[in-house]
Amino acid sequence: MKKRLSLMLVTLMAFGSILAACGGGEEAAPADNGTDSAVTTPAESGEDAAGETPAEGADSESAIGLTEATDMTMNPPGAVNRTDSMIIGTVAPQGVFNPLFHQTAYDFAIDDNLFSSLIKVKADGTYENDMADKIDISDDNKTYTFHIRDDAKFSDGTPVTANDYLFTMKLYMDASYDGQSDPLSWNVVGANEYNKGTAKDISGIKVVDDKTVEITVSDYDAMTQVNLGAVAPLPEAYYGKGYKQGDLTSVKQLNAKPVGSGPYKLKSYSAGQEVDLVANEHYYGGVAKIPNVIFKVTTDTTNMAMLQSGETDLDNVTVNEDNVEELKSMGFLDVNVLKNNGYGYVAMNNKNPLFSDVKVRQALTYGLNRAEVVEAAYGPYAEVINIPQSDVSWAYTADKINTYDYNPDEAKKLLDEAGWTVGSDGIREKDGKKFEINFSATADNPVVDALIPIMTENYQELGIKLVTETLDFNAIMEKKDRGDYDMFFAAWGLTPDPDTTVYITDGAQNNSGYSNPKVDELYAKGKKELDLDKRKEIYAEAYQQINADAPEILMYQRTNMLAINGRLDGWDISPYKEYQHSLSQVQAAQ
Amino acid sequence: MSQYIIRRLLQMIPTLIGISIIVFAISQMVPGDYITASQNPNMTAERADQLRAIYGLDKPPVQQYFIWVKNMLTGNLGDSFQHKMPVTEVINTYVWNSFIIAFVTMILSWTIAAFVGVFSAQFQYSFFDKVVTLLVFLLMSLPSFFIGLLAIKYIALDLKLFPTGGMTTAGLNAGGFAYIKDVVEHMFLPVVVMTTLTVGGLTRYFRTGMLEVIRQDYIRTARAKGLQERTVIFKHAFRNALLPAITLLGFELPGLFGGAMILERVFAWPGIGQIYLASINMRDYPLMLGFTMFLAVLTLLGNLISDILYGVADPRIRLK
Repeated sequence: MKKRLSLMLVTLMAFGSILAACGGGEEAAPADNGTDSAVTTPAESGEDAAGETPAEGADSESAIGLTEATDMTMNPPGAVNRTDSMIIGTVAPQGVFNPLFHQTAYDFAIDDNLFSSLIKVKADGTYENDMADKIDISDDNKTYTFHIRDDAKFSDGTPVTANDYLFTMKLYMDASYDGQSDPLSWNVVGANEYNKGTAKDISGIKVVDDKTVEITVSDYDAMTQVNLGAVAPLPEAYYGKGYKQGDLTSVKQLNAKPVGSGPYKLKSYSAGQEVDLVANEHYYGGVAKIPNVIFKVTTDTTNMAMLQSGETDLDNVTVNEDNVEELKSMGFLDVNVLKNNGYGYVAMNNKNPLFSDVKVRQALTYGLNRAEVVEAAYGPYAEVINIPQSDVSWAYTADKINTYDYNPDEAKKLLDEAGWTVGSDGIREKDGKKFEINFSATADNPVVDALIPIMTENYQELGIKLVTETLDFNAIMEKKDRGDYDMFFAAWGLTPDPDTTVYITDGAQNNSGYSNPKVDELYAKGKKELDLDKRKEIYAEAYQQINADAPEILMYQRTNMLAINGRLDGWDISPYKEYQHSLSQVQAAQ
Repeated sequence: MSQYIIRRLLQMIPTLIGISIIVFAISQMVPGDYITASQNPNMTAERADQLRAIYGLDKPPVQQYFIWVKNMLTGNLGDSFQHKMPVTEVINTYVWNSFIIAFVTMILSWTIAAFVGVFSAQFQYSFFDKVVTLLVFLLMSLPSFFIGLLAIKYIALDLKLFPTGGMTTAGLNAGGFAYIKDVVEHMFLPVVVMTTLTVGGLTRYFRTGMLEVIRQDYIRTARAKGLQERTVIFKHAFRNALLPAITLLGFELPGLFGGAMILERVFAWPGIGQIYLASINMRDYPLMLGFTMFLAVLTLLGNLISDILYGVADPRIRLK
């Protein structure tokens, strides 16, 4: 018995560390990118990464994009006959069907169809009006007036009113609110007083009439309109029954029984198995064309099999050449390979004297064959990047950006200039100190596995010794917080808006300790500027500066794959606008 | 007897206190918490502090421990950070799914192991025994995810005999018998794989138990009286050979509710194992600690049950 128990423990721990490591390391950040910019994909993102196998070869031109179904006659009868419903394969949602509280991208995808907001994201990452038909902004950018559509109704038939919006904002500002959003950072006037319980109302939110609400903020930035508009009003008559200021328990109890204003409403939910949605006949955007949507739980071991047998119509599948090949060969699937909103990077401790010299950081970037690493880890399904932004973003620029193509000679030259000279044993040294880098690696991460051997060899050629230690990702993060590290690999998720604290001095997410007053100033300016064209210029300049400073070794932007049964048409999918936003407009081909 | 049970139950209290201190201390020593584990790129330091205050993670560990214990005594295991509902509700939602397959697996594996064990003991070193021994060790050493995947590939995908995963067919609105049939079809593969894995070890227990008994004098006596071999084995020997196994039965209790982490993932079975694993990865302490304590209580109860059963089955053992 003892033996069996300890065996179980060992497997448990082994699995635990794999998942933890990858969960943090590879796809650390959110997979979603909708209006709610802060939903993570916790544990299973790691499993995806663990399942990814390195692929080689193939031509990178055709690897990314949409491959349409070639032979619809191969479609299994089960899928063909399902004309009034579609089945979506998903990682198990947690059953938190409330946009205030959901914790994972999978609950988020369902909530997006149960609730609608005042604005919604467009395919290019900018926003358009949804439930609001007009938004007025005052000249000082501090007062926002939302006009709610006259025909907007909740799924129980009652109209959406400005009071519902106010009520929802109260829930957000409540002291016991523990969801993924950071509502106090929206700077709504009176929010802090409501949060502390010193006021019964939020003074900055004024209900003008049934369909008009006016919000005043104490300070604005480019995200203010998005933050305020992305709120999905909840019906006060339903959610407000037991709510008392400072206690959201009664609201959370309704997580499994949502009432919203989205294109669908919840029919049934069985935990860990499936979520059944049915079209909301009161939806202002027109009743959904496919009346039944079923989210069925799949895992990376079953998702391909279920697509093949026609049991599911849509699923996310790990991108690698074998999987792409197999899905394409099925003939009846549209295969979308989409850029992931995020990037992987090797962090260098800029506060460590080893990396404080910009020439050394540039040398380490030049001296690493990044293309080879990315090819080894992802094959053609990831690209080397040189600025910390997705190339599908409006803020992306390739202008005046150094691509740091692999160039050991340049790297050696830069190291010489920085004063690191090759010692008698072939290792560079400066002031009697050897150039030795301690790399904190996570176990079982496909990128780290590809990176370490190549990096060791490349840096050896430069006269730098690379020592690796394998740690749990959380342990690495703790070392990072203490500033006690040389290098580690991690990934960031990107939101549609380029504003971030990753590169500003002492920013909350600044892992590398990078500091450049010019970049700080540009980020502050970009956040305050509301004009898109001006923001483009500001961020381009910031990226050029970051590119020159090389605070970290930027590695790659990878891809995600979405396979959809060819019988369904009408999708509008981009890296910013995920499949879930299209469900109500999709129809089955005849 | 009742005095013995009460005494044992009282003895469980200090043990549970010890367990609670150890698991809580481990959770405190592990780097990271729910806020860092969620890896939210927009998390500001202020928001992280607010969340820690809401969750009570900002308090000193000793105080956190006593709050946790105090709530536990009132039956409140706290709210899961991930699921945003009480831990007891989360456990109740998923644990029964795990229980169904674990229970069926237990019945199947015990029945099979008992018969196979007895026969290989009876015909020790025979061809049958050698084949069984080989098979048993073969099955024991297979990794579960591997046979799980093989089963999906050959039985579910190629032969299409059983569904590939999940617990019910999507969109099936059946009740009553049709529902039960659907669930049985879905649980077939996971149960077969789990049985395959557990039956091996059990067979060895039964075989050893039987071998010991078969050499006893009273068995020789029974044979000498001219009893049929079947009567000797099943009436005289088997009951005595069962005694050590009864002890094992009590230990199965936590296993019935513990969930099978790997196989649940492979077969997309909505059990508690995966949920527990996610709670560890996400540092969802209320759920992780709550479920660990639940398993600890079950383990202690299982111990007690096996001691009592042993006393019931074997009159030579007197429980005082």
